[in-house]
Amino acid sequence: MGALACALAAWSSTVMADEALDSVIGCMRANIPNTVQIKEVELISTDRVGATRTLRGRLYGTREDDRLRAMMKIGSPADLAGAAYLMREKAEGDEMYVYVPALQKVRRITGAGVDGALWGTDISYGDVRQLNNAFTSGRSVLEGGGELGGRKVHHLAVTPDPAEASRFSMVKVWVDQQSCVSLRADFMEGGLVGKRLEIDPASLRQSGTHWYAGEALMTDLKEGTQTRLKVLGLSSDVNLSGRYFNPSTFYLGS
Amino acid sequence: MQRLILWLSSHPLVVIAATLLLSFAAALCLIDPRDASLRLKVDPSLERLLPTQDDDRALFDRVRAQFGETDPVLLAVGFDNVYTPDSIEKIDALTRKLGEIEGVRQVMSIANVANPVADDFGIDLSTFATQARVHPERVKDFPAQVNDNPIYRNALVSADGKVAAFALSLNGVDENRFRREHYTDRIRSLAGEVTGSDTVWITGSPVIMAETTNAILRAQKFTIPAIFGLVVLLLYIGFRSVRAVLLSTLTIGLALLWTMASAVLMDLPLNLVTALVPPLVTTLCLSYAVHLLAEFYERHHQDGGALRLERVFRRMGVSLLLSGGTTIAGFMALVPGSLPAVAQFAGLSALGVAFSVLLTLVFLPAILTYAGPKRPLRILGDAMMARKARKLALFDLKWRNWIITFAVLLIPIDLYFASNIRVGTEYIKSFGPDATVRRDYEAINRVFDGANPVAVVIETYVNDALTDPALIREIEGLQKWLQAQPEVGAVVSYVDHLKLINRNLNDGDPAYYRVPTDATAVKQLLVFGGSDEIRRLIDSRFRTSMIAVRIKVDSSIQIADFVQRTEARLREMPPPLNGRVTGSPVLATRTVNEIASGQLTSLLVAFGAIWAMLALMFTSARSALLAMLPNILPVGVYFGTLGLLDISLNPTTSLIACVVLGIAVDDTIHFLARLNTDARAKGNEKAAVKSALSAVLRPVTFTMIALCLGFLIFTGSELQNQVQFGALAAFTIFVAWLADITLTPALGSKLRIVTLWDILRLDLGQSPQHTIPLLSGLSLRQARVFALMSKLEHHKVGERIIQHGDYARDIYVVIDGVLQVWVDRGGERKTLSTLQRGAVMGETGYFGQRRTANVDAQTPVRLLRFDSQDLERLRQRYPRIAAVIYRNLNRIQAERLARATAMLQ
Repeated sequence: MGALACALAAWSSTVMADEALDSVIGCMRANIPNTVQIKEVELISTDRVGATRTLRGRLYGTREDDRLRAMMKIGSPADLAGAAYLMREKAEGDEMYVYVPALQKVRRITGAGVDGALWGTDISYGDVRQLNNAFTSGRSVLEGGGELGGRKVHHLAVTPDPAEASRFSMVKVWVDQQSCVSLRADFMEGGLVGKRLEIDPASLRQSGTHWYAGEALMTDLKEGTQTRLKVLGLSSDVNLSGRYFNPSTFYLGS
Repeated sequence: MQRLILWLSSHPLVVIAATLLLSFAAALCLIDPRDASLRLKVDPSLERLLPTQDDDRALFDRVRAQFGETDPVLLAVGFDNVYTPDSIEKIDALTRKLGEIEGVRQVMSIANVANPVADDFGIDLSTFATQARVHPERVKDFPAQVNDNPIYRNALVSADGKVAAFALSLNGVDENRFRREHYTDRIRSLAGEVTGSDTVWITGSPVIMAETTNAILRAQKFTIPAIFGLVVLLLYIGFRSVRAVLLSTLTIGLALLWTMASAVLMDLPLNLVTALVPPLVTTLCLSYAVHLLAEFYERHHQDGGALRLERVFRRMGVSLLLSGGTTIAGFMALVPGSLPAVAQFAGLSALGVAFSVLLTLVFLPAILTYAGPKRPLRILGDAMMARKARKLALFDLKWRNWIITFAVLLIPIDLYFASNIRVGTEYIKSFGPDATVRRDYEAINRVFDGANPVAVVIETYVNDALTDPALIREIEGLQKWLQAQPEVGAVVSYVDHLKLINRNLNDGDPAYYRVPTDATAVKQLLVFGGSDEIRRLIDSRFRTSMIAVRIKVDSSIQIADFVQRTEARLREMPPPLNGRVTGSPVLATRTVNEIASGQLTSLLVAFGAIWAMLALMFTSARSALLAMLPNILPVGVYFGTLGLLDISLNPTTSLIACVVLGIAVDDTIHFLARLNTDARAKGNEKAAVKSALSAVLRPVTFTMIALCLGFLIFTGSELQNQVQFGALAAFTIFVAWLADITLTPALGSKLRIVTLWDILRLDLGQSPQHTIPLLSGLSLRQARVFALMSKLEHHKVGERIIQHGDYARDIYVVIDGVLQVWVDRGGERKTLSTLQRGAVMGETGYFGQRRTANVDAQTPVRLLRFDSQDLERLRQRYPRIAAVIYRNLNRIQAERLARATAMLQ
């Protein structure tokens, strides 16, 4: 989830087809803070029949050697409080750790079905990584500009690296020209949109020089479910303790 | 009525023009002129035969909305051995390709499901495909791992490891789109291309429904032209005129066009039941056309133009309207309390019959007048059938009592056999044993131990209730009970997932393959350890759950038995657990049972409605009841045959009785109507039986052959239910024909019928009840009934009515005209009196004396003649009328006696 928060802010790119693309990617990279702390993140999942479930927690993110570290700790509901997730992007394979308070155990999860939903939401680790890595290992193409919700946008098409083993064949991204935040991302499966991430431009906020989205909606168009993500109180480029990202200690403390 | 007949007779061109105009409008309704496509919808779904407000259907829809499609497409592909890296790679490739098909929401196979491997270091949740790719050496462990996982066991790979299964969930693809866009073929060919396997089976509700639709459409394409071919052939054989055949075929075609256009207007789809309507209407309209052609080209009448039309309208009007009316009554009897599809079938068929009667009665004679053959037709077999009819009549009369006794005895025997009838159907067995859809279904059902998905829904209406370990243990117990049922192949619930998550998060220790002991732990495991699949088994608020059950039976009887047992078991669960069974097979079974259980009601309504119509037309409840016997008999034989041959009552076989009853009663009406006319004309019932049978045997036999052949065309369908419908309906029609040519004449030989039509048509002059003393005190209707129970005679001027000295027991009443009563006195004619309207004469003969004078007609006269037998019959059938007549007769006698006494004094 931390990865998603970072991804919501911007994505970086090493593969640039042309200068225009460089410019867009550069602008997006400028939005990426070294660290991020979200006092409260709210995930409201709505199932196929409209029933909702809300999870609240704190989220911490950082980049080490340009690789993501993110940790989320659940605050409510009470019976899930204390549960924590740590995600570490690594060259030899991503790592996920989960702490389940009832078992009082930390389990390392590898090879987790990248497309598997996180905590019953519509957001998967695969989606987050896709958004993040597409600009580092995928092939990006600037397909021109246009308008979205009355705002001028760049239109990018990102094809994931085949090694990603993603269920999505392409991600189409609409990047706000003013803030360089992605306002919409369509996760394509074949010729169809499997999932869609949408950001309300009115929720765009600034923390220092970094732009971020205060609210995002991920819709699984195939399943007919959706998850709304609300970010409250984001601080960027703050000093974060290393324990938040350490597999032995991430779940400790408040 | 008279004016309508006269108008129709004199305006045939208007009739033709109006018909063609309406037909053009109907064609526009039925066919989209933009692309010449049919606007008629096809709906092969059995569960949608249930009413939309139905509770079971609402539950099914709710479950689908909550947990997604419960009827996936099941694809099975054969390999030498699934558990090789190469096979897994192919399965993975096919899984991805299938997922890229538009409308496919999700594909699940051995390749893309996680194979959790837990140890002290953590859990590897990578998929089988990833593990096979990265660690090919692990593939040898896959069989044990699959067998150890209750969710995958015998679901993704067959027990022998040679067949891999793929479950495809669809999104936004209804059965019509599935069929139209050839999903079955696309999936099949993709499976063949990607894996190179020759063994590809595909089944599931969408596949079977699409194939059913195809079969319905193919059946329509086959049966309708075949029946039209039959129509042309039979009409040509019967009437030997190309023009008569073409015009009759046009009439039948228009009746069908109007019926199907009505279906479009009323938004009625063609489903498994309504698909029978088009051939049925065609066949029925053919039988009406046969009767009309016979009358139109009746060789004894050489009239033409308006006169001929008027005669046809008068002669055919009553019998066609009554035939149509009783057939419609038979169909409409299916409506009360029935399922929408049956009501739609009944309504559409009734509409088709109404159109058929209307067009046959009004349009066909009109167009025959202009474009039909002008010469008299040489009707095939007319003389031969007349000879046979006379022999048959003699047989019927000679063995009258035996025939009636045999018929009456046959009914309880039939009822005995009918008591063994089973209610149910075997859905996939609607297709022939060689049909691919059936072969694939049976293969998957056999290899994967069940291919019919059923859902047991557990609702609590309390958030997080299903995380309570005590309630989970109840569900676990229910699951074990389900697994032990003989119909069940596999059972999966969220409890299986929960136990697996618990084991995996506890280093794969088998001791943790159990339900945690507190609700918080359960919830945390489900939220943080659950995969996407768990969303298909429990809702996000943990208050509703679905137990996915795969059953290996297809018979509605077995499914109903399983559902009944399961529901009884579900009732044993403690609150707040409320369980119900749902799923396509469950709803289909419920549909079948609903249709069949309404059978008795439908039949009683049909008998009641037809009896009421006959009683009204024959103005006698008793006559109507007797007329019903030849029609009750074939229905009894039909049900007896079902019981005897162990044929189950299913959605199509349950339609036959009412349909045949409505059709068969036509022949009875034709015979009795003719018998009525002839009996009145001949004054002798036995002679009337011979002549009536001679007149109707040919058309009745001809229509029986047409109907039987028409129904037998259904036996060419690839859907076994249509084959069964065709064969049984033809058999029952044949039995009805046998009853109508033997039992009906036997019963009719002592039956004098007065039809409503006769009553309305009979002219007894101005207020006969006031102007004819014998009829005094009767209503006009009663006066006419008496007249019809007597004999109405016409005599010319100078004709001798009564001969002095004869022995005769008839009494005459003068309706109109003038008669002279005279005696011969030594060669001199001595006039005694002149009689006019209302006079009664011949009563001395009635009391056993010789005729005392001659009576001659001085003008054309109409007389009512009756004797003691007529009066006795009147007393039995219409006792109230008879009492008044006896009273009036006594009064007349008394007055005469008083007058005679006064003269003597």
